[in-house]
Amino acid sequence: MNATARLATVASRPERVGLGVMVTLSLGVIALGAGWVAGPSAAVVAAAMLATVVGLVSVAFVGGLETRRALAPYGLLKPGILWLSLFFLAPLWSMVVMSLSSKESRFDFFPSFTWEWDNYRIALTDFRPQFLRSFGYAAVATLLTILIGFPLAYVIAFRGGRYRNILLGLVVIPFFTSYLIRTLAWGNILADEGPVVSIIDGLGLQGAFESLNIMDNGKLLNTPAAVIGGLTYNFLPFMVLPIYVSLEKIDPHLIDAAMDLYSSASAAFRRIVVPLALPGIFAGSLLVFIPAAGDFVNAQFLGNPQTTMVGNSIQDQFLRQLNYPVASAMSFVLMFIITIAVLVYTKFMGTEDLA
Amino acid sequence: MAGKLNRRQFLIRSGMAGAGALSLPALLAACGGDEGGSGGGGGNSLFFENWPLYIDEETVKVFQEASGVSLKYTEAYNDNNEYFAKVQPSLSKGDKIDPDVIAPTFWMAARYVQLGWAQKLPVDKIPNIANLRDDLKGQPWDKDQEYNLPWQTGVAGIAYNMKTTGRELKSVEDLFAPEFKGKIGLLTEMRDTMGLVLMGLGKNISKLSTFDEAAEAFDKVEKAKNDGQIRAFTGNDYVDDLSAGNFAACVAWSGDVLQLTKDNPDVRFVIPEEGGTNWFDTMIWVKGSENSDAVAKWMDYVYDPVNAAKITAYVQYMSPVKGVQDELVKMGGEAAPLAEDPLLFPDEATVARLQSWGALSEEEEAKFDEAFAAITGA
Repeated sequence: MNATARLATVASRPERVGLGVMVTLSLGVIALGAGWVAGPSAAVVAAAMLATVVGLVSVAFVGGLETRRALAPYGLLKPGILWLSLFFLAPLWSMVVMSLSSKESRFDFFPSFTWEWDNYRIALTDFRPQFLRSFGYAAVATLLTILIGFPLAYVIAFRGGRYRNILLGLVVIPFFTSYLIRTLAWGNILADEGPVVSIIDGLGLQGAFESLNIMDNGKLLNTPAAVIGGLTYNFLPFMVLPIYVSLEKIDPHLIDAAMDLYSSASAAFRRIVVPLALPGIFAGSLLVFIPAAGDFVNAQFLGNPQTTMVGNSIQDQFLRQLNYPVASAMSFVLMFIITIAVLVYTKFMGTEDLA
Repeated sequence: MAGKLNRRQFLIRSGMAGAGALSLPALLAACGGDEGGSGGGGGNSLFFENWPLYIDEETVKVFQEASGVSLKYTEAYNDNNEYFAKVQPSLSKGDKIDPDVIAPTFWMAARYVQLGWAQKLPVDKIPNIANLRDDLKGQPWDKDQEYNLPWQTGVAGIAYNMKTTGRELKSVEDLFAPEFKGKIGLLTEMRDTMGLVLMGLGKNISKLSTFDEAAEAFDKVEKAKNDGQIRAFTGNDYVDDLSAGNFAACVAWSGDVLQLTKDNPDVRFVIPEEGGTNWFDTMIWVKGSENSDAVAKWMDYVYDPVNAAKITAYVQYMSPVKGVQDELVKMGGEAAPLAEDPLLFPDEATVARLQSWGALSEEEEAKFDEAFAAITGA
């Protein structure tokens, strides 16, 4: 009787119950996932989580319809939150711990946590060129994807007519092939005795390309231009598709109305089409910039030893040097910088239109 | 390229695939699933993880029929450092890994031995161990030949494409010639690349023990990199760049170029006059494996010159087994000319030019690796 009464009291505040259960469960999942607890204590944590669920079910059972209705949002959130706890927060926590650990010797495979801030110093000083290069290349590639992607999306959206879907399909189809194969194919296309270089030579344009810094000493492959080109190519659809979606939603009557009010075509484009397409450009920029900054495939296969990006360095530190602490610090710095950049960008561009 | 995929062509592809798969599977594999596997069992099964296309198509089958051992042979050993990264979480905790026998290159084998991750071989049960070439016996890290048996050996030298260079190359200095700016490839395998450069500077790599003695060579490579002389640091993919003409010259492994020259006579291999580096890949018996009988049977089998010759005829690397040359002649057909090949059976003058790396202490090796990683820019 007493227990049921207490349950009923608790059930009168369903929001707190819902929130409490969610937090408890995700903390439990993180604790298990990040390896804070192991063996018998892991069993205790698992039992506590089970008990929490049992408690939640009892509250929902006792509380009646109103309580259950109030609990429902938390129930719907739970799969996502728990998934993120296990596969994002727990690994992230492990990474932070690792990035502040140190190795006693080269083959110390279990670095111990020592507040080793030096890892961050190494990441930021020794690998500064790679960081700068990554963000530089990613920024240029993002701009190029806008310059190439916007007109493409515009033509498909406004002039595509009944071929729209086919044209969109054509944009996407090459990307059914493996990322790696496409990048390697560019290696063949841009090779010193490959088709592109021989056409450039044939037209006598080598000097022009060299002065634009696109070619270097007669080669196109293994130059910064090739890496940026590879990034641009590989991430283009991530720009085209969001811009297309924005443009496609524009009511053509808005443009007609502008023209009726004696707007010039270019003013209508500038003041109506572009602002309405901004959410697409914004989303596309994020979708291109973030993976491009962390990419290492293009630099590996299209670059040279002076174009390595931070992704290459992280891979090397992890898999060849076995320097997990520094590699973790680098990964964390990369994440941090990208997050800050995205926040600033969001502030600047605004996301209200995205919704 | 010929229709059949040869060893190195395969390597290029799988190397790329490895890089492209972001080594995620390797990491995942390292995280779990260490128990069980083909190990354990009544000692009559064996799991050998070797480099890709490093054996002919018959040997595994014939061995199984002859010995009654069920042999699982896989080709997942693609890169010394990456394989090490994959197995170290298990081995450092004292857990078993699935393979019984793996094929690290000699310096990596030394690391396994030093870390206590290799077991003493059942030498008594391997009578054919007597066929091991004398020059490979008694490495500093395995003086009594208890831990490793070489699988294949080879030489790192310089490969070049006559069409691009327009001349024969002879010297390590050719790699630094201004006329080949941006057309030079170096291997990511530190010992092969730096070994050649060091020999070019007149150093004896078998006597090197500290990084300071080698610093000059690292400066030289770093300067070449900054000048844009070096086009890329590659793994096995140098073969494609070389035949496509992207590389005028590069540091290369003898067996690859032997195979490549068949398709493209412009591609040539030279052991520079200053010297070439000797290397060998080993077979080591991993700690925790219990299949000693099967290990002995397998190693004894491949150290029989008749069987070893079949492998040589296919992989075209130097065999560590004495008597292979005679067996190749006996095999006749396509195999017979291999017995005369100076890259498979080098003459004494050539052998005199070859050097192998001595053992480096853990601390010094770390310095070499770090300095090299800083140059390769990754």
